[in-house]
Amino acid sequence: MKILLVDDDPIARAIHAMMLHLQGHQVVEAADGELAWQLVKNGEIGFVVSDWMMPNLAGVELCRRIRAADFEHYVYVILCTSKGAKSDLIEGMDAGADDFLVKPIGPEELRVKVRAGERVLNLQQGLAEKNRELAKINGQLQSAHRLVEDDLKSAAWMQQRLLPQPTQHARGIKCEWCLEPSGYIAGDIFNCFSMDENQSGFYLLDVCGHGVPAAMLSVTLSMMLTPDASQGSPLMGANPQTGNAEVLSPGDAVRELNRRFQSKDDRYFTMIYGIYDICSSTMRIAQAGHPGPILIRKGASPEILGDGGMPVGMWPRIEFDCFEITVQAGDRLLLYSDGVTECVSQSDEVYGEERLLAFLGKNAYLPLEELVGSLLLDIKKWRSAAEFTDDVSLLAIEVTGKAVCLLPPQSKKDL
Amino acid sequence: MKFQESSIGGFVVVKVLESRITADIAPGFKEGLVDYVKKGNKTIILDLSEVSFIDSSGLGALVGSLKAMGNDGELLLSGARETVMSMFKLTRMDKIFRMFGSPEQAAEAVSKS
Repeated sequence: MKILLVDDDPIARAIHAMMLHLQGHQVVEAADGELAWQLVKNGEIGFVVSDWMMPNLAGVELCRRIRAADFEHYVYVILCTSKGAKSDLIEGMDAGADDFLVKPIGPEELRVKVRAGERVLNLQQGLAEKNRELAKINGQLQSAHRLVEDDLKSAAWMQQRLLPQPTQHARGIKCEWCLEPSGYIAGDIFNCFSMDENQSGFYLLDVCGHGVPAAMLSVTLSMMLTPDASQGSPLMGANPQTGNAEVLSPGDAVRELNRRFQSKDDRYFTMIYGIYDICSSTMRIAQAGHPGPILIRKGASPEILGDGGMPVGMWPRIEFDCFEITVQAGDRLLLYSDGVTECVSQSDEVYGEERLLAFLGKNAYLPLEELVGSLLLDIKKWRSAAEFTDDVSLLAIEVTGKAVCLLPPQSKKDL
Repeated sequence: MKFQESSIGGFVVVKVLESRITADIAPGFKEGLVDYVKKGNKTIILDLSEVSFIDSSGLGALVGSLKAMGNDGELLLSGARETVMSMFKLTRMDKIFRMFGSPEQAAEAVSKS
C-alpha cells in the first residue's frame, strides 16, 4: 500500500520509512504538513502517517484540511505524538484522525495499526465500488423505466385517438363520453357510428383485467368493431339472397365475436352493443356480461335495462339474444363500465347502482355533455383524491330526432 | 390464496378463505383449483360462503378452472352469497355452473346423478 509519511525530523522519518518498507509498503515522504497537503491534494494518497508537531502545518491541522476537503476516496490518518496526553487525543479525534501512535514507535505497533487502517480502507473501497455499480444499475433502471413510461404514454395517446370525436354524431343519435383509465391505458373502449342510411350502432366494452394486456385486446376490438364490411366486420353479414352486406342483429354480432374470441387464457370481455333504427324508432341491444344500460326518459325515473347475458369469449357455442325498446327524440341511454358502480370510497363503500340512478334522475335535464361531465365529477368525488382502481368509462347516447327515415322498412327488403 | 379442504360423501370440498376474489389473487386461485384437478379429483365442490365479492378476473379464473377439468370432471359451486350470486346472474354463469345452497346439498345432488 502507498503510505505518505510526514515528519520534520529526518532521522525519525528515515526509521519509520524503513519499517514500512520492510512491511511491504510503498512510502512517500514529506518534511512538513504543508508539503504533505500538496501531495494529498493531488489525489493519489489514501493513507497518511503524520507527526503532530511540525513547522508550517501541524499534523492535526493537516488532518482537519483533509476532512474538510471531502475527497471522493477516504483518506486514513494516523497521528503520531510524543506527548500522549488525553487532551491531545481528544483534539486529534475531533480533527478527524482515525488512530494514534505514541513515539517512540515500535515496528510491531506500526504494523498492526497500519493493518487495521488497511482493513478500513479496503472495506471503504469495496463499498465505493458497490455504490458505483448500484448507481450504474439505477441509471439503467431509470432509463428503462422512462422508456416503458414513454411507450405507455404514446399507447395512451393512440388509444384516445380511437375514441369517438367530441360530440360525435351518428345518424339519428349523438354521443358524449369520458374514459378514465386506472393506469395509463384502459381495457375499456367504446364507439358510436352510422351503419347504413337508417341505422346507427354503439357499443361499450370492458376487457377483464386492466393495464397493457387488457388494452391490447381493447384496441384490437376497437379496430374490428366498425361497420366497414370489407374488413370482415363481425357486425356485418351477407344477405343470404342477394349476397350484399347487411347489418347483423346485435345478438348475432355478439355471437360472431364470441366465436372469434375463444382464447386459451382466461381473458374475455363484457359489452353492450346496440343498434338504433331510425325508421322503426327502436333500439335493439345485446348485453354480454355487462352492467345493463340505463334508459333516461323525460318525466320518468331512470331505469336499468336488460337481465344479463354471458360475457364474450368465456364459453364457446352459446347464443346471445337482444332486447328491443322503442325510443323517441330526447330519450337517452347511458352505457358504463363496472368501474363506475364498483368504485369504492375511502370508507370502502361502493358507488353502486342506486347512487348512479339517483344522480341521473336528479340531473336528467342537463345537456348531454354536462350530464356526463358532472357524473364523472361525482364518481371522482366519491373516490376522493385516490386514483381509480379500475377503468371508468361512460358513453351517453341521445336520440336527436333530426334524422329522417330514408326508405320505408318494406322497400328496404326489396333492394 | 387460502383454501380449506374437507370431504363430504367422498367428494372433496374446497372452501375459499378469501372475502374478495379479484385480479390480484385470481391467478393463484385458479392455480390452487387446478392443483386439486391434477390430484385426480373428478368432482370438486367449491364452498364460496366466505366470499363477498368476485370481479371479472375472478369469474375468468373460475371458468378457466372449469375448462381445465375437461369433459369428465365437474366443478360445483355452493354457498354463494347474494352479491356473488348477482354477478353470476348478470353474466349468466349460473347456466354454466351447477349451484347449490350448501356443500352438503351439492354432494347429495352429485351422488344421485
